[in-house]
Amino acid sequence: MKVSIDWLRQYIDFTCPLGELADGLTMAGLEVEETIQISKAEFAAQGGSGEIDDTVFDIKVTPNRGDWLSMIGVAREVAPLVGEKVRLPEPKVIESEPASSELIEIRIDAPELCRRYVCAVIRNVTVKESPGWLKDRIIAAGMRPINNVVDITNFVMMELGQPLHAFDLSLLHGNQIIVRRAKDSETITSIDESERKLDSEMLVIADHDRPVAIAGIMGGIDSEIGEQTKDILIESANFNSVGIRRTAKRLNMSTDASYRFERGVDPGITVLAALRAAELIAQLGGGEVCKGVVDVYPSPIEPLEVKIRPARVNKILGVSIDAGAMIACLNSLDIESAIDGEAINCKVPTFRPDITHEIDLIEEVGRVYGYDKLPMTLPQGASQGKDSPEGKLRDKLRRILMASGGQEALTHSIVDIGLARVAGREEQSVNLRNPLSEELNSMRVMLAPNLLQVIERNQAFGNQNVCVFEIGKVYFADASGKSSEKLAIAGAVVGNLWERSWGLPAKALDVDFYTCKGILESLFDGLCIQNVKFVEATDPLLHPTRAAKVFVGDREIGILGEAASTALETLGVRGRPCVFELDFHALMETAPQVVTYQEPPRYPAMQRHIAAVVADSIPYAKLVDLIRTAGGGMVEEIELLDVYKGEHIGEGQSSLTLGVVFRSREKTLTDEEVNSVLALIKDALSQGANAIFR
Amino acid sequence: MSENDILQSLRNAALASIHEAKNSAQLDSIETQYLGRKGEITSQLRRIGSLPAEERKDFGQAVNDAKEAVDAAITARREALVSVEADAKFVDEAIDVTMPGRLWHTGRSHILVDTLQRIKEIFIGMGYEFVETPEIEDYKSNFEALNYPEEHPALDEQMSFYITDDTLLRTHTTAFQHQVMSNRKPPMRVATLGKCYRSDAVDATHSHTFHQVDCFTIDRGISMADLKGTIHQFAVEMFGREVNVRFRPDFFPFVEPGAEFSVTCIICGGDGCNVCKGSGFLELGGAGLIHPNILTAHGFDPEEYSGFAFGFGIERMPMLMYGIRDLRLFMENDMRFLRQL
Ligand SMILES: [Zn+2]
Repeated sequence: MKVSIDWLRQYIDFTCPLGELADGLTMAGLEVEETIQISKAEFAAQGGSGEIDDTVFDIKVTPNRGDWLSMIGVAREVAPLVGEKVRLPEPKVIESEPASSELIEIRIDAPELCRRYVCAVIRNVTVKESPGWLKDRIIAAGMRPINNVVDITNFVMMELGQPLHAFDLSLLHGNQIIVRRAKDSETITSIDESERKLDSEMLVIADHDRPVAIAGIMGGIDSEIGEQTKDILIESANFNSVGIRRTAKRLNMSTDASYRFERGVDPGITVLAALRAAELIAQLGGGEVCKGVVDVYPSPIEPLEVKIRPARVNKILGVSIDAGAMIACLNSLDIESAIDGEAINCKVPTFRPDITHEIDLIEEVGRVYGYDKLPMTLPQGASQGKDSPEGKLRDKLRRILMASGGQEALTHSIVDIGLARVAGREEQSVNLRNPLSEELNSMRVMLAPNLLQVIERNQAFGNQNVCVFEIGKVYFADASGKSSEKLAIAGAVVGNLWERSWGLPAKALDVDFYTCKGILESLFDGLCIQNVKFVEATDPLLHPTRAAKVFVGDREIGILGEAASTALETLGVRGRPCVFELDFHALMETAPQVVTYQEPPRYPAMQRHIAAVVADSIPYAKLVDLIRTAGGGMVEEIELLDVYKGEHIGEGQSSLTLGVVFRSREKTLTDEEVNSVLALIKDALSQGANAIFR
Repeated sequence: MSENDILQSLRNAALASIHEAKNSAQLDSIETQYLGRKGEITSQLRRIGSLPAEERKDFGQAVNDAKEAVDAAITARREALVSVEADAKFVDEAIDVTMPGRLWHTGRSHILVDTLQRIKEIFIGMGYEFVETPEIEDYKSNFEALNYPEEHPALDEQMSFYITDDTLLRTHTTAFQHQVMSNRKPPMRVATLGKCYRSDAVDATHSHTFHQVDCFTIDRGISMADLKGTIHQFAVEMFGREVNVRFRPDFFPFVEPGAEFSVTCIICGGDGCNVCKGSGFLELGGAGLIHPNILTAHGFDPEEYSGFAFGFGIERMPMLMYGIRDLRLFMENDMRFLRQL
């Protein structure tokens, strides 16, 4: 809302510096976003008088305060700041015969959408250019001067907040105005020359034969004022805000009028606005104002009476103001207030439809008293603050993964559905009905594709070594189509994990499946989750022979693997990144709440190496099983020390070097004891896995 | 030559070669040569039998003296040589300490998650319980239960992404109030944080996705002053210094009275600068007392209970604290950006 200061002075006196006024308004809730200076030359350049300079406040109006979309509405907020009274315009109209009601008949067929309809008729008007002073106002308000009649309707709208519409009376058929719902498939060409399809949800102003305006939004071209117009009908009406909003949205239109009606227009100002326009038209267009406005107002709105309790005001605001001061605050806003026993009786004017209850008036007292004067206290009573279980685990996981070299990432949940396709999970995708663009049309089904995108972007930035993780929501539609969301945790690695590794053998540095698995294992370790299994599996996102499902006990909780080459190609990722993704709640549920302590062993350990040649078809996990079973509790740890393929080793076979640690919790083991168990283990390996020992 | 002369010359020869020894290995062989079991000096003792009886004692003494003298000389020389040899070894093992260290990549936290964490800790310290809340909400939780009238212009500020007619991505974390109030009884102090979505095109200062924190409390006797004090305490903790809190009337359907809150500009300390557009204050978020309609709708008598609620965006804080000018950096995950903060 652009507020000309020069104009504002017509309604209220103030002498304070404008900066102070702007601050005062801002602190009262009318945020002055910008202060604009308009020079004489600038006025002249836009067709104005070139005789005045002006300052304009650009004020942000909250959607509950339609009354602030007018000069008098703003003046009413200046009043308590400067301690002055607002002067409303008092139109002086010389009326002549015939009476308006003899020239036009008004009927409201849809009173639920039109509360009040007022019109004034002015005859023999000369439509011409507006005088300089009027054009100055229109320019300062950010509009373009058109002609005297249009400018006057805009002027009055800006002044009083009442949108007006001027019809060429001679173009209205049957001397009739009918405020009714449009008929389905009825059309109108609005003054912007577009044909609009109407329906019965929309309110129109019609004459005897056809709609002549979309009520409260825009007039029709057929009854528009032109240079040849002589007789003018000024409409000043009060339309239902929800109805206007629906219609404007459906027609994809927004006008100064609809903007105001959506936010509420004072039903008490309708007649004044019509008279004000009539006065100005007669004054600037030389016409005769017909006697008496026509006013159809089936159920007049009375000012609302609301009581407030001073004790309650003080309790809610946390202050101690006396009742007299509260009354003064309210009266300064034209809310007539008087003490009534323990309470204050307030008469809420019709221009304040936002005030319906005591709490609304408490806010008004607070506003005038000044929010900045409110004291600062803390709520009484103590309470135990805490994080959610998810929040706690999330923090723990972050620390574990950061310690493993993971950089925490934060990616968008709204993504291209192509990512779900890459992950082979398109049918689970939750899609947006009104996306911003085609690339932002769905919610991520998994985190891992997002992390691959992070890798791609970093590779483009010249960074080949990336190790990232993210903990966040993923979204999915279940079989019935219902959308759900859950927390997931994912990681992705590519390149090598050394920031600087000069002098180290290059081949050993590149991350692979096992590096990624190691990170995952450290995560389970950190959560004290045991009994984790990695089972060979396939997943559309993963390399067909380098992928695993992750189990805790029998519960499948996620996947791990090298990203599929198809996915990498689609996403433009170089190298061979590995990813994992786990269900967050599964971790929460499988992580033990209580961890038991085991005394460190007292007796020394003995180590033996086993070098075994086995077929590649035998999984390592099987060897571990065989060793543990044969070791009968004496095997404390099994470490894979080396894997060798090539010379002296048969095709399809590998030579594994295993370090086996033996220990008893009861005594120091002897060489003989260990050797006999080792023999059992070798037996088991050769029988169970066809192992050959070197 | 007399036996004594021989001994004397052996002794002199030994001392001379000890003096000339270049390393401890030479010294070792000198030791063996003269003092070993068959050493030249040691073996002089064997000649003792061929001496006249009266000379034996003196000669024995002389051999022992010679042995001791040689031994002492060897010990002294060895000490000198060890340190010379060590020095030589150290020179040989010298490294260039100015060459770069080898460094395993250490992970860092994401600045936005860090900020959320910090905010969370402050509110937990103030007695708030954080709860997990869904991002996919229904119209009722996001709007209706928050006192948004149907078809109200206030909805224009909350352009939503819809999934179905009734399901949408929450436009503010405030959407969690309905669920929490439906399941708890006062007194309560509850908070949540997370992603919110509005249909806003992406540029340096706008995004369709942003993070918010929302807190509310319901109890007997909660006032605007309590709200202001709470926000003040948070801001002092967050920014680590005394700041002023400014309340300005504002409108949110779910609060009445409603306010927008600002704190002293952390860049200029309140003197006015580019960032605060000269006002000396930075707008942080929206606040107010929970609308009595909402209390009533959840079965809490507004005559008995009152409450306050406030919420704010997260991105703005690190942007201010680190002078980050482009919002998009947060979700771009450029390691060159993330590893700095
Ligand atoms: Zn500043």
